[in-house]
Amino acid sequence: MAQPVTDPAAAKSTGMDVSLEHIVKAYGEHVVLDDVSLSVREGEVCAIIGPSGAGKSTLLRCINLLERPDSGTIRVGDTTIDAGQEVGGKQLHGLRRQVGMVFQSFNLFPHLTVLRNIALPQERVLGRSRAEAEDRAMELLQRVGLGDKPAQYPSRCSGGQQQRVAIARALALDPKVMLFDEPTSALDPELGLEVLAVMRELADEGMTMIVVTHEMQFARDVSDHLIVMGHGTVLEEGQPEKIFTDPATDRTRRFLRAVLER
Amino acid sequence: MTVLQDWLGFLPQLASGLWVSVVVCLAAIVVGLPLGLALALGSSAGSRALRWPAIAVVEIGRGAPALVVLQVFYFGLPSAGLTLSSTMAACLALALTTAAYTSEIIRGGLQAVPRGELEATEALGMSRPDALRFVVIPQGIRVAIPPLMGFGVLIFQATSLAYTIALPELLGRAYSIGSSTFQYLSVLALAGLMYAAVTIPASLLTDRVERRMSRHLA
Repeated sequence: MAQPVTDPAAAKSTGMDVSLEHIVKAYGEHVVLDDVSLSVREGEVCAIIGPSGAGKSTLLRCINLLERPDSGTIRVGDTTIDAGQEVGGKQLHGLRRQVGMVFQSFNLFPHLTVLRNIALPQERVLGRSRAEAEDRAMELLQRVGLGDKPAQYPSRCSGGQQQRVAIARALALDPKVMLFDEPTSALDPELGLEVLAVMRELADEGMTMIVVTHEMQFARDVSDHLIVMGHGTVLEEGQPEKIFTDPATDRTRRFLRAVLER
Repeated sequence: MTVLQDWLGFLPQLASGLWVSVVVCLAAIVVGLPLGLALALGSSAGSRALRWPAIAVVEIGRGAPALVVLQVFYFGLPSAGLTLSSTMAACLALALTTAAYTSEIIRGGLQAVPRGELEATEALGMSRPDALRFVVIPQGIRVAIPPLMGFGVLIFQATSLAYTIALPELLGRAYSIGSSTFQYLSVLALAGLMYAAVTIPASLLTDRVERRMSRHLA
């Protein structure tokens, strides 16, 4: 389902575009991201794949500044941040308002019910009333197929359910871009499918999505734009189908063979 | 059965002493615990201006024996122009000790909250104070409750130190009965039993709460 060059997804888009320019990040001597640039159009689904240690998650975490790059520029919609400069609280808040994130380990708040997990950030960040926030939370729970779970605590939910709650929690803040950091890696394959189904639906609605994943099927079928990373750089990028059938670099070929032939 | 008869005779005075001990202990906890939370937050704060004074108070409060703090408050402060009643001095001195020790217990609890949840609050755009108030503190306190209850038992026992500043608490009463009747063994034994009558149920309760909490975490 590769997208043509003139992207119809953008027409029905609910998202914003994202671009990263010349991102550099090192931990001491170890360079994790070596001058990485990337641009994701409005409404596009961008999948980032590659061997572990390639810097995929670090790159993703740079987009909402959970990880602070040493230098480079991050732009989301019309918020631009120069990572080399001091970032003000207001600027940081402005950036994070636009960007939702889903983690590998869900990171739900275990002392709150599913409903409160989704409602609390809306109340504190957007100033919604409790009733308003909980209405919105219920609506999203229904959308991710968990309309019967609002009163449960996260520990009583399966991993797949927890991850769907985490997606609902992020969506409740009306982000323009969603980041997914290996959202199914901590899940049994079967439970992962529930999560992928929700993500697929979100993609169809035109959300701008950047997904670090080991789910090759998802990367191939759902993404419009595939990025293969290795050793802190982009090895290649382009149409997923083309990269899967005819990888341009040897490293990509070896990686794809390793993941596809298991 | 003269011992029991003696004990019945001692009981009214000792009971009023026990009451003083309990009140001082509760006052120390009521004042010390919020202060302990504040010190816990202060000593893990990013800003140095907050962190260093908090660490200093915690280290002094934990480093100095409770008996010394008590003596300083009662005998020392008057020379600095501040005279406190023995009850006030006992409450404040034990509150300081409580604050210093509980701050470390609470800090341990706060640190037990997984890093990922803090990242989630950041990614959601929640402010740092909100993250503390709604995510970190409620969970951290829950983890800290059993050790805090254990510390409560210790501070209750530490109220006996206040007999050195003439506070008529349980040990003070027992001592004064002993010095007028010379039945030290008998009256001190009864006082010891009365302390135990509070601490043993409290410790059992602590164990139960601890088991409950760990069951919840599993």
